[in-house]
Amino acid sequence: MKCAESIELETPAAPAGHPVRLPMGLLGFEQIKDYLLVANPGEEPFAWLRVEDNAALAFVVIDPFVVLPDYNPDIPPADVEFLGLKNANDALLLSIVTVHGTSQATVNLKGPVVINRHTHTAKQVIITNAAQYSVQHPLPVADNVA
Amino acid sequence: MLILSRKPGESIVIDGHIRVKVMRLEGDVVKLGIEAPVTVPVHRQEVYEEIQRSNQQALTKQSSPLPKLAGAVKPSTAAKPPVSPAKKMNLSKP
Repeated sequence: MKCAESIELETPAAPAGHPVRLPMGLLGFEQIKDYLLVANPGEEPFAWLRVEDNAALAFVVIDPFVVLPDYNPDIPPADVEFLGLKNANDALLLSIVTVHGTSQATVNLKGPVVINRHTHTAKQVIITNAAQYSVQHPLPVADNVA
Repeated sequence: MLILSRKPGESIVIDGHIRVKVMRLEGDVVKLGIEAPVTVPVHRQEVYEEIQRSNQQALTKQSSPLPKLAGAVKPSTAAKPPVSPAKKMNLSKP
């Protein structure tokens, strides 16, 4: 079983990150379509979805399965077709993290960003079973920040 | 906006293939039945708004500090990129 380890996008990591295109943008940011997925060493399990032409703007993202091992999102057929996904291994899932000050962070499990690993096309998908999950699922943040 | 009057049991048809039927009235709640092809996503508007608000709140500067996670979440080891394949995701076939 090698499914759990085949992790990277197909293009080797450029220092600047993996380009990811969201033709429909993120909800509320429909006009921004080009992003870079940046994983900095030492920041695991977090990564950044950075606005390509504005390095100052970014979203913190995390693998939702790290947050909730039982996460079981249903991706609607229209989105499967839009992204050209043939099976689950074609896709990477990222959930957007909201950092509320230093002591609280939440993860959006209703609307993950689904990326086709081969084409790098992505979409923020409202999962069919969104009612089962929170848009502000709490992350267990350490009380004492060293 | 097009405004139509319908009674319980009556329907409207959108684009020849989406049917919205008024099932019943319960006080100030209208129960709607929606028949649409699987390729047409149907969600309550609040879900879109909730995710929009969440995205707007989440937008940050890349220099912002990241939270430190408590033990309950096991960060991936350094050798592992922070992204794993969606092994448990269900792709609904069109």
